[in-house]
Amino acid sequence: MGELGVEHFLFLSAALFIIGMMGVLTRRNLLIIFMCVELMINAVNLSLVAFGWELDHLGGQGFAIFTIAVAAAEAAVGLAIILALSRRQKTMDVDEIRSLRD
Amino acid sequence: MPWDVIIFYLIAAVCITSAVGVVVANNPVHAGVFLVICFLNIAATFVMMGAEFLAVVQVIVYTGAILVLVLFVLMLVDPDDLPEFHTARPVQRVVGLLLGAILLLEVGAAILSRTVTGARGDATAQNIAAAGGNTQALGRVLYSDYLLAFEVVSLVLLVGVIGAIVLALPERLGEQISITRRGTISLGHPRGTDAALPAGPAGETPMVDRETPSPTPEPTTAGGRTLIMVTDPDERTTVGTRP
Repeated sequence: MGELGVEHFLFLSAALFIIGMMGVLTRRNLLIIFMCVELMINAVNLSLVAFGWELDHLGGQGFAIFTIAVAAAEAAVGLAIILALSRRQKTMDVDEIRSLRD
Repeated sequence: MPWDVIIFYLIAAVCITSAVGVVVANNPVHAGVFLVICFLNIAATFVMMGAEFLAVVQVIVYTGAILVLVLFVLMLVDPDDLPEFHTARPVQRVVGLLLGAILLLEVGAAILSRTVTGARGDATAQNIAAAGGNTQALGRVLYSDYLLAFEVVSLVLLVGVIGAIVLALPERLGEQISITRRGTISLGHPRGTDAALPAGPAGETPMVDRETPSPTPEPTTAGGRTLIMVTDPDERTTVGTRP
C-alpha cells in the first residue's frame, strides 16, 4: 500500500466503527453511548465517501449528506429523550433504565 | 512513501487516538471534546478525498451543531445521575472487546479480499473541474438524481425537530405558562382613565393600583406613551372599554 488507496480510508473507517461499537457495548453512561453512535455514523460516512472516491462517483458524497441530515434529526430526538429521561428517572445509567415511564 | 500517505497516517493516528479517548474518558465533557477532535480529522480525510463540500458540512453540522447540543445536554443533566465508567461490569467489557476484535478481523479480511465490481462513474477530476468544482457537481447530482430523497430528508428533519420539541417539553407546561403570564406590562391605557372607571361586572375589580390607591396617579411616560402596570392580563381586558 505505497500509494494512497481506498484501503487506507476503509481501514480507518473500520477502526472508528469498531471503537464506537466497543464504546456502545462497554459504557453505561447514556450520553457517552450517544456520542459513540455518532462516531459509528461518521465511520460509515467515511467509507461511503471513500467508495465514491474510488469509483469516481458522486453518489457516495450525496449519500453521506443524507446520512448527516438523518443523523442530525436523530441527534435532536435522542437528546430530547435523554433530557426527558434525566427529568423523570434521575439516572443516566443504561443498566438502571428499564422503561420510559416514571 | 508519498507525502499524502504520511499526512493520512498522521490524521488517522489523531483520529483513532481521540476516538479511543471518547470511549475511555471518565468525564463526559472530555469525551465530547475528544469527539470534536475526531470529527475535525474526519473532515480532513474528506478533503483528502476531494469532498470539500462534505468536509465543510461535517464541520458545521457535527462539530458546530450536534456536539454543541450534546454539550448543552451534558450541562443540563444532573452530574449525580451520570454513572462512572469503571463501574461497567467485567462481563460487558470482555464481551465488548471480544466482539470488537472479531468484527475487526472480519472487516479486515473483507477489505483485503474485496474486488471492485461496480461500473466507474463519470465524476473524474476533469469532469468535476468542468462543472465548476465539487460543490457545483454535488449540487447538480443532489437536485437531479436524488431530488425525491432530498425532499424526504427535509421532511424527516421537520418531523425530527417537532418530535424533539414535544419530547423535551416540561411536564407541567400549562402551569408554567400561567405563572409566566403574571406580572406583565400592558401598554395603552392611561392610569388616570382607569382610576375613573366604575367597577367591572361580577366581581371584577377596577383597575386601580391596589397596593397604593392614589386618586391622583402620576402616569409614567415612556417615549410619549403612558405605561401602566397590571398583575393579571385577563383582569385587564374585562374592565370597561377604551375611551
